[in-house]
Amino acid sequence: MVDLSQYLPILIFLAIAQGLSAAFVFLPIGVAYLTGAHKPDAEKLSEYECGFPAFEDPRSQFDVRFYLVAILFIIFDLEAAFLFPWAVSLDVTGWPGWITMMIFLAELVIGFAYAWKKGALEWE
Amino acid sequence: MIQVLAFYLFATLVIASAVFVIMSRNPVHSVLWLIVAFFNAAGLMVLVGAEFIAMLLVIVYVGAVAVLFLFVVMMLDIDFAELRAGFIRNFPLGIAIALVLVAELVLGIGAERAGALKLGTPDGTAAPLMDRSNIEAIGALLYSRYLFLFESAGIILLVAMIGAIVLTHRERSDTRRQNISKQVKRRPDEATINVKPEVGKGVQL
Amino acid sequence: MTSFFQTLGMTHEWAWFTATIAGILLIALPLMLAVAMIIYVDRKIWAAMALRRGPNVVGPFGLLQSFADGLKVFLQETIIPSAANKVLFLIAPIITFTVALMAWAVIPFNSGAVLADINVGLLYVLAVSSLGVYGVVIAGWASNSKYPFFSAMRAAAQMISYEVSIGFILICVVLWAGSFNLNAIVMAQKDHVWLINGFVANPLLFPLWVMFLISGMAETARAPFDLTEAESELVAGYQTEYSSMAFALYWLGEYANVLLMCALNATLFFGGWLPPLDIPVLYLVPGWLWLFAKIFFFFFIFSWVKATVPRYRYDQLMRLGWKIFLPVSLLFVVLVSGWLMATHHFCDADQTLYPDPDHYGRIVNNGVCP
Repeated sequence: MVDLSQYLPILIFLAIAQGLSAAFVFLPIGVAYLTGAHKPDAEKLSEYECGFPAFEDPRSQFDVRFYLVAILFIIFDLEAAFLFPWAVSLDVTGWPGWITMMIFLAELVIGFAYAWKKGALEWE
Repeated sequence: MIQVLAFYLFATLVIASAVFVIMSRNPVHSVLWLIVAFFNAAGLMVLVGAEFIAMLLVIVYVGAVAVLFLFVVMMLDIDFAELRAGFIRNFPLGIAIALVLVAELVLGIGAERAGALKLGTPDGTAAPLMDRSNIEAIGALLYSRYLFLFESAGIILLVAMIGAIVLTHRERSDTRRQNISKQVKRRPDEATINVKPEVGKGVQL
Repeated sequence: MTSFFQTLGMTHEWAWFTATIAGILLIALPLMLAVAMIIYVDRKIWAAMALRRGPNVVGPFGLLQSFADGLKVFLQETIIPSAANKVLFLIAPIITFTVALMAWAVIPFNSGAVLADINVGLLYVLAVSSLGVYGVVIAGWASNSKYPFFSAMRAAAQMISYEVSIGFILICVVLWAGSFNLNAIVMAQKDHVWLINGFVANPLLFPLWVMFLISGMAETARAPFDLTEAESELVAGYQTEYSSMAFALYWLGEYANVLLMCALNATLFFGGWLPPLDIPVLYLVPGWLWLFAKIFFFFFIFSWVKATVPRYRYDQLMRLGWKIFLPVSLLFVVLVSGWLMATHHFCDADQTLYPDPDHYGRIVNNGVCP
């Protein structure tokens, strides 16, 4: 069964880690006000573009290939998610369980071979 | 006590972030609030003892699906003002979907009140492998009793993969690809020649 | 530690709470100190390999260099670009650093010396490390500047590409150890092959360790896979618009992640806090010292690679991840599980029989064992 008292330290750790990193970000801002290091001006606050004014909106359209990588990642991540319970339950499912997974993997290897053949895994 | 507090903390955050998902003006903020909602849902899963589902929720939804969402909303050049103009037009549809979801919720609560779901045993007296961690219990059922469903999940994934490739893959002909085996196989005598040109004459290549 | 605080006259709950807080601080504060020192060590190692001296001014042998750097960035002005999305811009480094700390909650430092001894420890590590991509992507997007945005997209695609093969490699380890609990995985490596404590001595798992090490470098965007901050193309990558401590948090987070990868290498393949050899004398040295020695050893490898290997090109990086590591690690899942089934690895206990799900109460042989 699940021992919830083992998860409570994680929650406390999350709170402490967040507090610590927030302090690291916000304390220097306050300190900069106090020491007088905080002197913003329009040039300093403009985005970096090698000394030029920005040419265009940086959040532009991107190559569709990034989506393809993300979709392929979701599929293989799900495949791995199915492998996790299989890996620890092989002692009870035995050979039938093993063969089941091999069929499942074969289905995905077909997809992988298709992606390879189509050049979806190439990055030009 | 702490369990109850944690439940209300996670539950409040799930609902609050879900509200922010639909209220945010910026779609990127919406996706980020969605991630917060997933994260707190994982916390709720841990509280009911489904630690494997909780981790899967983070690995698959936060780690993979939300990354794709972020890619889409960050990089697609969608005119969101135009999308929002369709709000009134699609309002009846939205109400219909909301009603379906409410009906599902009512059904779910009703089913839960009728007794806990006891998978794995036909008479429902006891489920096997309850003394082991729930990841092993899931595995023991999924790869023996429910293997047909599992294999069909594999087929669905295959269809999804092929569909994604068909829809998004564009062959580009204007790029030169690296052929590593060809590069490695190349020998010096194929690539270079020694010539001794006469004085005042060029080299014929 | 709970019992110690109970002897001080606290109730059990308060003693537990105090012990947990103490445990968290015992992980987080030395980790930050270790990160500061390891940055110095890293610089010294590159310097030595390039026949330079490295930091040698602040303190004896330059030991205090990282602290001087830290003080400098702490006193700097935090510049928030006017075009940036201010809230997200400041949240991004918080996410990176928090995530880098969180994964350490399940790393066992000694027998039983672990903050959260959960059943699904390895999945927790995987889940937390999959969050690391958000700190980078949000930073790149919130900066509203070209180079950070390009870099964030690269980083996201790179991290998710290598997470797939890392997942498959972890499955092979879990198959052999039979558990997701990191302490159980460490114990499963005891006396694995010829007195060696560690899966790395296993011929079937050794190639997986090599892939895990390289994938770890790609996952943490260390050289030779540091394309996200390739200064010749992207200025400083997603950190371009950052300054002051927000910038330093990315550094700290990056090195904390590198140390985590070293700790995972040690825990999953080199026996964690166990001594290298299963000889009673070696157990006299405390377990956490062995773990630290192994972490340092792996960090030296990371540094060595960074000092000597030139940067990959992005298409080569993707090719390595998708066309080599993914199929090979998948093949090894089949090989390892097939080998374990064929050699009756799962037959040691009374688990050879299991309740038939269709007929509860009847016990059937599942065909694993002869």
